[in-house]
Amino acid sequence: MVTSSLAQQAIQPAAVEARGAFEAAVREHQAMVYSVAYHFLQDRPAAEELAQEVFLELFRHWHEIQSREHRIFWLRKVASRRCIDHVRRRKLRAHVSLDEVSEPFTWMPATDPLLKRYIEQLLGKLEEMPRLIVILRYQEGLEPAEIAEMLEMPVATVKSHLQRSLALLRRKLSFALPEEKS
Amino acid sequence: MTDFEDQLRRALERVEPSEDFAARVATRARRPAPWFQWRAWAAAGIAASLVMGALSFELDRRERERQQGQAARAQLIQAIQITSAQLDKINRKVQGALR
Repeated sequence: MVTSSLAQQAIQPAAVEARGAFEAAVREHQAMVYSVAYHFLQDRPAAEELAQEVFLELFRHWHEIQSREHRIFWLRKVASRRCIDHVRRRKLRAHVSLDEVSEPFTWMPATDPLLKRYIEQLLGKLEEMPRLIVILRYQEGLEPAEIAEMLEMPVATVKSHLQRSLALLRRKLSFALPEEKS
Repeated sequence: MTDFEDQLRRALERVEPSEDFAARVATRARRPAPWFQWRAWAAAGIAASLVMGALSFELDRRERERQQGQAARAQLIQAIQITSAQLDKINRKVQGALR
């Protein structure tokens, strides 16, 4: 067991090998886990702390991970669960309805960093579960069925959250992207 | 894929954490987990409670033995006093008969 005897592990070759593999896994997946947390929390220090906790949990469950694919699935699932827990526990931000977010005065070119920031801001105003679903769909490129499996909810619920969130975001963004108005 | 969805995808591109992120995770992984420290404290607490419990039980047992000893001593003194009074009474009767 990886966590059973940390002092012994320091001198066991298998443990050293596992530790090396763990550190390589951290480097490989850090952007994925951190980005889910960052886009969800929109707070760099909190996202780093949460991502670290996710990887420490991976370290404790290292022996249960069967493959790289399993590891990716596991990391996304744990990161998602922790994001939801984090917001619910600490009430990180008082929820502001998307309708309360003011529209930008003028439309912005699609590559404008301000637009990117505006989208992030809009996303941050979504309820927790829809926000997470949008992140998993557009950051991680997951299909609704994969998201449903990860979040342990019906596919129809995921699709419904996605449709509602996209409609809300599109309505707000129509002010920034005039070509989307039609 | 609409422009809108493309825009969302670009806004949600992956970002890297700080440069020393992996090193910090590795350092934290080498430390005993907080739950492990918590368990050590809990074990110490339970051990201390057991010692205190055993000590308290032993003191209680000794106190009960002392009280039982005192009661036995009092009964013995009372028995000796009764016996002494009886012997005194018999002695007086014997002395009277001899006169």
